Amino acid sequence: MLDAFEILTTSGIVLWRKHYAPIAPSIVDGLIRDVFIEEKQSPSNEQYRKERYTLKWSLAKDVGLVFVAVYQSLLHLSWVDNLLTAVKALFVKEYGSEVKTGRTTKLHTSRWDATFDALVTKLDTGNEPPPPPVFASQPKRPAIPRKEQVVMDDTTSADATPIPTPDTSRPATPHLLTAKGGPGGKTSRRARKAQNFATSAPASSGDESAAGKASKVKSTAKAKRRWDVDGGAIDDYGDDATLDYSASTSDAVNGDDHDNDIADVSASQMGSRTGKGQFVLKDLDDEVDAILASSRSQKSQSSDPDPSSTGGGGLLGTATSRLTGLFRNALGGATLTKSSLQQPLAAMRNHLLEKNVAREAADRLCASVETDLLNQKTASFTSIDKTIRESMEKALTRILTPTSSLDLLRDVTTTTTGPSARPYVISIVGVNGVGKSTNLSKIAYFLLQNHFRVLIVAGDTFRSGAVEQLRVHVRNLSELARREAVGRVELFEKGYGKDAASVAKEAVSYASNNTGKGGGEMLYDVVLIDTAGRRHNDTRLMSSLTKFGQLANPDKIFMVGEALVGSDSVAQARNFAKEFVDTKGNLRNNGVGMDGFIISKCDTVGDMVGTLVSMVHATGIPVVFLGVGQHYGDLRGLNVGWAVERLMR
Amino acid sequence: MASSSTAKDWLTWAFSPAISAIFATLLISLTLPLLIHFYLYRKAVAKELPTFLLIGPSGAGKTTLLTLFANGSPSPTHTSQEPQSAVCQLPSSARSSEDRYRSENDTSAQAQPKLALLDTPGHGKLRHHATSSLTTGSSLKGLIFVVDSAAVSSAAGLTEAAEYLHDVLLLLQKRHTQSKTSKDPQAIPVLVAANKQDVFTSLPAGLVRTKLEEEIAKVRRTRSKGLLDSGIGMDEGAGGDEETNWLGEYGTTDFKFSQMGEHGVEVSVRGGNAKGDGGESGKVNQWWEWVGGNI
Ligand SMILES: Nc1nc2c(ncn2[C@@H]2O[C@H](COP(=O)(O)OP(=O)(O)OP(=O)(O)O)[C@@H](O)[C@H]2O)c(=O)[nH]1
Ligand SMILES: [Mg+2]
Repeated sequence: MLDAFEILTTSGIVLWRKHYAPIAPSIVDGLIRDVFIEEKQSPSNEQYRKERYTLKWSLAKDVGLVFVAVYQSLLHLSWVDNLLTAVKALFVKEYGSEVKTGRTTKLHTSRWDATFDALVTKLDTGNEPPPPPVFASQPKRPAIPRKEQVVMDDTTSADATPIPTPDTSRPATPHLLTAKGGPGGKTSRRARKAQNFATSAPASSGDESAAGKASKVKSTAKAKRRWDVDGGAIDDYGDDATLDYSASTSDAVNGDDHDNDIADVSASQMGSRTGKGQFVLKDLDDEVDAILASSRSQKSQSSDPDPSSTGGGGLLGTATSRLTGLFRNALGGATLTKSSLQQPLAAMRNHLLEKNVAREAADRLCASVETDLLNQKTASFTSIDKTIRESMEKALTRILTPTSSLDLLRDVTTTTTGPSARPYVISIVGVNGVGKSTNLSKIAYFLLQNHFRVLIVAGDTFRSGAVEQLRVHVRNLSELARREAVGRVELFEKGYGKDAASVAKEAVSYASNNTGKGGGEMLYDVVLIDTAGRRHNDTRLMSSLTKFGQLANPDKIFMVGEALVGSDSVAQARNFAKEFVDTKGNLRNNGVGMDGFIISKCDTVGDMVGTLVSMVHATGIPVVFLGVGQHYGDLRGLNVGWAVERLMR
Repeated sequence: MASSSTAKDWLTWAFSPAISAIFATLLISLTLPLLIHFYLYRKAVAKELPTFLLIGPSGAGKTTLLTLFANGSPSPTHTSQEPQSAVCQLPSSARSSEDRYRSENDTSAQAQPKLALLDTPGHGKLRHHATSSLTTGSSLKGLIFVVDSAAVSSAAGLTEAAEYLHDVLLLLQKRHTQSKTSKDPQAIPVLVAANKQDVFTSLPAGLVRTKLEEEIAKVRRTRSKGLLDSGIGMDEGAGGDEETNWLGEYGTTDFKFSQMGEHGVEVSVRGGNAKGDGGESGKVNQWWEWVGGNI
C-alpha cells in the first residue's frame, strides 16, 4: 500500500500530491537534501530510506519536475517503479508545456486525480517480494482482466466475483475471461483490436488538438506512436506482429481524412473521458502499457549509439545544416542531445583530470552535468561549451560548498564559556608524512592569536622522534606567543609505547582540571591531539582509531591530506573516515566520520587543486583548511569561488 | 578533409554571381537588423518589472511565501533545489509608494502594480544562487530575508540565520561602497520577515530583531578574527582589509540594524506567517505594506 505520492517542482513547490496516510514533510525533504543536493547516496541506488519509509522517485529534468512515491519499508512494492514511469510520462504530456514556462507556481490538476487513481488501480500488484518484469510478456494478464472489470462494472458485478486480490487474481484469470461472455479468448481480442484501431485514431486526434494548443507537437507525436506500436503488440499478438501493426497505425495517425471522419465522435469521447474516471481508464490502459514497454526498450537500448544524424542529404544540404548548427551553437537555442554533449563533455572530463581530479569524481561530475543539460536548450548567444562550463561550475560549487560552514572560533568560545564549560578537543589524523604535526601547529598558532590556552598532546607514541618534533614546535609557538602577548601553549606527553587513546583521555581531564575533589579552574581551552601517522591499509593500526575516537571523544576530527599529484588521498580519506564510528556503530558527524580535511602543500600545486574535489566527492567531508606554506601563519580557509575558478581555468 | 571541402564549396557558391546567392545575401541583410532589434527589445521589456528577492535559511518559508504572494494561497512545499520566479500583483489593501500622492477620493481605476518575486534555495550548498542574483540583479528593488521565528529560539537555528544574514548584509554593504564612486548608488532595503508567528514556540518580531542583532555581533567578531580565505592570501593583489569586511559601523562592539543606514541599507523587521493552521493563508499584510512602500 502506497503511503503518499507527490509531484513537485525542483524549486520545491508541490503541484499535486496524494497522501494515503499522514506523513511528515521532513520525509520528502530528507530525500531532496540527502540524495539530490548533498548527493550522499551513490547515483545507482534508486531508493532512499528515511525513518520507516522507503522513497522512490523519478525525475523529469527538462521540465524541472520530481515525482516521489513513499511507502513503508516493510512492504515490497515493486510496481511502484511502473507507477512512477507511467505518472511521469502522462503528467509531463498533460502539463509539461505549462510547467516549462518556469513561472508556474500552481497547476489546476483536478483532472489528474482520476487519472492517478486509475493508474494505481491498474498497476497495483500488491506486496510481492520477487520483482518480475511486469507486463513483459503475454502471460502477464492479471492486470488486464481487472481493468475490464472496472470498466464494465455491470458484467462483473453480475458475476459476483469479488475484486481479486493479487494472490487470487492469477488463478482466477481464465475464469474471468470466459465468464465475460462476449469478449474472451484470442479471437475476440483481435476483434477488440479492430475496435481499438478505430478508437485510437480519435484519441490521437484529440491529443493532436490539445498538443497544438500547447505547441509541443514533437514529443507527443513520438510518445504516441510508440504507444500504438508497443501497446498493440503486447495486447494482441506478441512480438512477432509488431512490424505489421506499426505500419497500419502510423497510417491511421497520419491519415487526415480518417481523423475528420470521426472528429465528432472524438469530441464526445473527450468530454466523457475527462468527466468520468471510467473512460479515462479505458484509454489509459493501452497508453500505459506502451509507456512501460517503451521505457523498458529504452533501457535495453540505451547502450546503442543514437543514429539520429543521418548521412544523406546532398552536398549543399549538409553544408547548410552544418552552418545552421554552427549558428545555433553561436547564437544559442540548440537542443542538447546525448551526441552533441558527448564530445565537449569528454573534453571537460580531460580538463578535470589534468587538474588532478580523480577519475571517479570527474566521471560523476560529468554525468551530473549531462543529466542537468540533456534535452535542454542553450540560452541565446551561448555556445554548448559555455553552457557546459556554467553547469560544471555550478556542480563544482555545490560539491565544494559545505552544508554548514565551520566557524572554529565561535565553536570554541561557546564550548569553553558558560555554566557547562569544558575544553574543546580537536584531533588530527592522517597517513605518514603528510604534515600532521605542522598543520596541528598552524591551528595552534591560529588559536593562540585569538587568546586561547592550548594544550598540545603527543598522541604519536609510536614513531621515535615524534614527541621531540612536537616539542620543538611547542617551544617555537610559546616563544611567538610570549612575544605577541597572546594565549599560552604547553605540551602534554607520556613518552613512547603507551596507548594513544588513554593518553588523550588523561590530557583532556588534565586540561579541564576536574580530577581532584570538586575540581578547579579549567587550565586549557583547547586540547589539540596529534596522532600516529598510519598507513591507511594497515588494519591493525587503523582499527585502533575507532577506540581512540570513542575514548577521547573529540569535538572535531580533522584529517590532513596532500594536494600533491599522484598521492592516493581518496583511498586514504575513505579508509580513515570509516574508522570513526560511535559505540552504536554509526559513523560520527552525521554518518561521514570526520569533520573536515586540511589539505596541505597547496602552494606547490598551482592550479591543480583537483584533490580538493576528489576528497570531498569520495567522502562527503568538507575541506576546512588549506596549508599554503612553511610558516605558522600559512593556514587558510577554503574559498569555494577561488577553487572553482582555478579548476576551470 | 570533408568539412574543408564542403566549406570551400559553400564559399564558392556564396561569392558566385548566382541569383540565389544574391537573394540569400539580400534576405540576410534585411532580416538580421530586425532580429537584433527584437532580441534587444525583448530583453529591455523583460527587465522592467521591479524585483524582490527572497532569501533565508532552509525551511524558513520562502517558497511558501512565494506561492502565497503569487496565488493568494500557500502551496505545500519541500526543500528547494532551484530558484523560482513568479509575477505577483500588489493587493489593493497595500498601497504602493506611487499611490501615496493620490487623493483618498480619487476613485479612477488604477491598476495595482506588478512585481517579480524571486525565490532562492536556502540550503547551505545552494546559496550561490542567491548571492549571484544579489550581485547581478539590476532591477532589484528589495530583499526579503525570511526567518523561522520558532527556529531562532534554538542556538543552532539562530546562528545559521545570523550567519546568512550577516553575509547578505555584508554583500549589500560592499555593493554600496563600490557603487558610491559610480553615478547611482542604488540603495536596497531589506525586510527581515519573522515568519511562522502562528507557531506556539515562535518569538515575536521585536525579540527576533534583538536576538539577530546580538548574534550578528558575535558572527562579525569571529569573522574578523578568523583565518583569511584561500582567495585572498595566495593570489596577490585585492586583499580586502579588515574595515571593508566589517559589517556596520567599524569598531563598535554591539551591532544594530540601524548601523546599516550609513551603508545605504535600510533594515526593517516585521512579523507574520505565510501559513495559518490548516493550510490557509496567514497574516502577511505587514510584509505587503513594506513591499508596496518600496516598489
Ligand atoms: N506553521 C507555519 N508553517 C510554515 C509557515 N511558513 C512556512 N511553513 C512551513 O515551513 C516549511 C518550509 O517552508 P518552505 O517554504 O519550503 O521553506 P523554504 O524557505 O522555501 O526552504 P528552502 O527551499 O529549503 O530554502 C513548510 O513545511 C511550510 O509548510 C508559517 O507561517 N507557519
Ligand atoms: Mg524553498
